[in-house]
Amino acid sequence: MNPESACLRIPFRHRMHAMSYSDDDSPLVTLLERVGGRLREPLRQRDSELALRELYDCTSTKLFGLALKVTGNREWAEDVLQEAFITIWRSAGDYRAALSPPLAWAGMIVRSRALDFLRRRTSERADAALELDDAITETVAGDSPDPMDVTNASEQAWALHECLRKLEARQREVLSLAYLRDLSHGELALQLKLPLGTVKTWIRRGLEQLRGCMGSFA
Amino acid sequence: MNVAGNPELADRLAASYALGTLRGGARRRFEALARQSPALRVHALVWQERFMSMTELQQVQAPGPQVWKRIENLVAAESVAAPAPVREDPLAALLRRARNIWRGATFATGVAAAAAVLVAVGLRGELVRLQAQPQVSYVAVLTDDKAAPAMLVTFDPKRSTLTLKRVGNFQEAADKSLQLWALPPAGAPRSLGVLGEQPVLKLTAAEPSVAEAPALAISLEPKGGVPGDRGPTGPVLWKGAVIQAPL
Repeated sequence: MNPESACLRIPFRHRMHAMSYSDDDSPLVTLLERVGGRLREPLRQRDSELALRELYDCTSTKLFGLALKVTGNREWAEDVLQEAFITIWRSAGDYRAALSPPLAWAGMIVRSRALDFLRRRTSERADAALELDDAITETVAGDSPDPMDVTNASEQAWALHECLRKLEARQREVLSLAYLRDLSHGELALQLKLPLGTVKTWIRRGLEQLRGCMGSFA
Repeated sequence: MNVAGNPELADRLAASYALGTLRGGARRRFEALARQSPALRVHALVWQERFMSMTELQQVQAPGPQVWKRIENLVAAESVAAPAPVREDPLAALLRRARNIWRGATFATGVAAAAAVLVAVGLRGELVRLQAQPQVSYVAVLTDDKAAPAMLVTFDPKRSTLTLKRVGNFQEAADKSLQLWALPPAGAPRSLGVLGEQPVLKLTAAEPSVAEAPALAISLEPKGGVPGDRGPTGPVLWKGAVIQAPL
């Protein structure tokens, strides 16, 4: 049995009554509440620890994929994943107030830990310019199939996924990198070894198409 | 350029802003306009939310098994450093203050705190080895107010035996004794026994008195200890959370 199946939520497209959300429409929300439970009720320490383990089982492969995408290095991504889960452990009590889908909330923690990690490395070694991994270079060079994964994704992520799918692979990849790695046009051009004008054009066209498409989901 | 009166332009700028490619002066101008315009802020928030979902769409990849091990160790070290609070009685209040000092120290002196965590993680290795013996089901690392470990406590419910192992180099004066206390979730601390001077010491205790206590503490008392029903009279030297070890 797939170890992640216990925490899969029903995909949005299969839900008949989108208005009938309950508080814990996602098992991930329940897990996050339990992780934060010890902060209100110290005797729940053990339950919080068990919930953290379940949350890890449910989300670590997805979040590790994200960390890998941002850092481009397995070892760094593992450090980032570890830091992110410690952050989640400490701040799960704030989750409810964030009003975000659970995976997106955790994803933002991973992204911000990963960006911190890259900044620390860059300040340690000025020449530590990030080398793009081969997979990304290939995606940008050609039109490879959609590599995105919607397991446990929120409705918002579904909509974004539907719209990103309609872009050319290279536009999608450049938009993803710009956001996930927090890169400027110039930094993208440098990392992708593409002319600045090309990067700007891809971003502008990709963003225009995305705006039109996302507007139809609003 | 009237951004607020041009929804199309507002949306385009907001999308670039949220993506992060709007930079420099253009970014600062957008931020200044957004401070004045709730409508523009809404555009920006909507796009921030949308791009945030990009973090949910990445391909799954399996991290190495040691990542969870490291997380588990850090979480265990943290709960040892900050034991669960108990109802307010004089000893609990003392513990709370000690813990606050420790927290203050965590923020003030990152290096010292990191060192303390390293020590705690090292000890956790010892806990893991002890946990490998199946009969051990409760452990506690008692630390001083600087989170330096001083005593390792394990409890074997089958033999109703507490084993205490000194790991620091503290030596009480000849006219003093160390006394072990269970800090139950409600009510006064209960004495679990008085320690001799040997490095490893065994005490007999009923399981509930250990299992139901979120934390243990050791106080410095007159030679031979004090009566268990009146609580500690001397200073609390060390304390730590009771951790249930998986069987």
